[in-house]
Amino acid sequence: MTNNPPISRPILAIIHALMLIALAWLLFHFVVYVVYATNLIQFPFDYDQGEGFELHDVMLLSQFQTPYADIESFPFYGSIYPPMYHVFLVPFAWLFGAEYWYGRLFSFITTLITAITIGWVVYKETYRAIPHADKTLTRMIALASGLAFLSSNIVYHIGPLFRQHISMFMFETLAVAVLAHVSEIESTPRRRRMLLLGFGLLIIGGYTKQLAAFTAIGVLIFLFIRNPRRAIVWGFGFAAVGAGIFVLLTVSTDGHWWTQTITANVKDFLTDQAIGLARLFANLHLALFIPAVLYLVYEVYFDRISIYSIWLVCTLVLSALAAGTWGAGDSYYATAIGAMCILSGIFLSKTVNRGWQFRQNYLRQMIVAPFSKLAPAITIILMLLTPIVYIVYARATLHMPTTGAGFSQIAELFGIEANADNGFYDSAGRLVGAYADIGHLTTEQDVINGDLIVARINEVPTDKLVLSEEAAFSFATDREVITNPVVLYILDQVGHYDSSELVTMLEEQAFGLIILRARFYPPPVNIAIDTYYEMVEVIPMNGFDYQLLRPKN
Amino acid sequence: MLNNQFTFTKKTLGILCVAIGTLGTIAIFAVDIIDVGREGGIGPIQAIGLVIMISLILLGITLIPLGDDPA
Repeated sequence: MTNNPPISRPILAIIHALMLIALAWLLFHFVVYVVYATNLIQFPFDYDQGEGFELHDVMLLSQFQTPYADIESFPFYGSIYPPMYHVFLVPFAWLFGAEYWYGRLFSFITTLITAITIGWVVYKETYRAIPHADKTLTRMIALASGLAFLSSNIVYHIGPLFRQHISMFMFETLAVAVLAHVSEIESTPRRRRMLLLGFGLLIIGGYTKQLAAFTAIGVLIFLFIRNPRRAIVWGFGFAAVGAGIFVLLTVSTDGHWWTQTITANVKDFLTDQAIGLARLFANLHLALFIPAVLYLVYEVYFDRISIYSIWLVCTLVLSALAAGTWGAGDSYYATAIGAMCILSGIFLSKTVNRGWQFRQNYLRQMIVAPFSKLAPAITIILMLLTPIVYIVYARATLHMPTTGAGFSQIAELFGIEANADNGFYDSAGRLVGAYADIGHLTTEQDVINGDLIVARINEVPTDKLVLSEEAAFSFATDREVITNPVVLYILDQVGHYDSSELVTMLEEQAFGLIILRARFYPPPVNIAIDTYYEMVEVIPMNGFDYQLLRPKN
Repeated sequence: MLNNQFTFTKKTLGILCVAIGTLGTIAIFAVDIIDVGREGGIGPIQAIGLVIMISLILLGITLIPLGDDPA
């Protein structure tokens, strides 16, 4: 604000210094993230449960086969995820074959694009509201907002995985950024182009993972508030295209698309899991969540309601509910974290730039006016608190290896002790069951042990089948991927899977070797495995014990 | 409402929130009244739904006095 009195140099110097400390800490988290991503990209086996099956989806699509197949007949394989992420990776499959690195690299890059978009939005929105904003401070806050997204324990530990979820939130964030000011575009052709682009990104996001529907709901509510007619017309168009693709996929897969992406996703609601994950989200992100909510309240009562506020409410409430379903996890909060980073960034940027303006209304008289005499002092205090918010957030989300060059010295200096696998410290701890047990670096021993499992499979004659709970070992030995255990389990739970054919194969001891990691198979399959097979060896890898079973007698 | 220029004000948005919240609250209670075969009482999902609907009514009530400011 040009009519604000200048801030004294020492106070500005303190704010800059504290902001540099905050940025240094967030940059340290970014370095940890790059080290983690580099480590994972080189790891040749499954790191997170299910990565190999996503790779298998890519391979099937690269051969123009559908991953939405009959799961009751051999090879008992089906996928519960939409195909867009896998479609993007098909060219890599043609070039490099079945490899994990390109899917993980792709995911990692999408998180960087999301973080850059968050920073860009904060920067742009600041200048839109405060044309004379301080360049240095605004850039610092924008950078901190993007880094804060990557610093979240939740985003960090799923960021470089071979999973479709990660690229989904890039498409959602880009769609929201594109549509944020679409109602203000006066040129009709340009407005339509932007609407088309935004809804196109939402369709791609939705066919990357179904959870993007929550963002679509937020976007439609926002457009409805700004102009109901436009929201209804475009909403119908969006729904027609989305439903058309859905029907096409259902018909072309003989209904298996419906069974695996809809029926398989109707799961039990676990209240304890939902509450546990909500508390975990709050514990880790409270420092940024408070300013985000304050900004939301400010917009509701003193400004126009932005797409970001509605996005935060929709994704947070709906994701928190969805996170309570069986098989869900902390990753469901990732999109809400993106929205939170944007809103908190705008709030903090407005604060350091002294850009607050309150419309004349009864709430201003009740809440703001009584403090008007204290406004200069409150402003200085809030400006000083801004970098401290990011410092507190960086501490709350602290995660790092406690071994290895540089990290062991830092861990020793600050007394940080490992609380997760392979000497990893994670401030999220392991208190909530649905919090994914990942984030640590893999070791050379993990690769050696993975190779040992591969060697055991190679001992089995090639005319004998091998049943591996993870697809990585099938790829490494050029064997067919048989079963997708979680899909079988979920559909068994909802009464849509008959395991007779697979159980018969187990009874006939058709498999020369079975490799289990978490026994995610349906109960009848697990019983048949224990009845007709015996454990001969346990090989640890990446924090899990892989059980090797051979036919009895 | 369905013309190219219409946009919600704080007041009309407030009225809409109160209307949706009220209808939603009635619908949540109606689930128990209509579906007599279910176990009695409000389930966890219903409780969450009620919290959301009542919050919407409260939000709407506080928005209505803000008048014709664009929402």
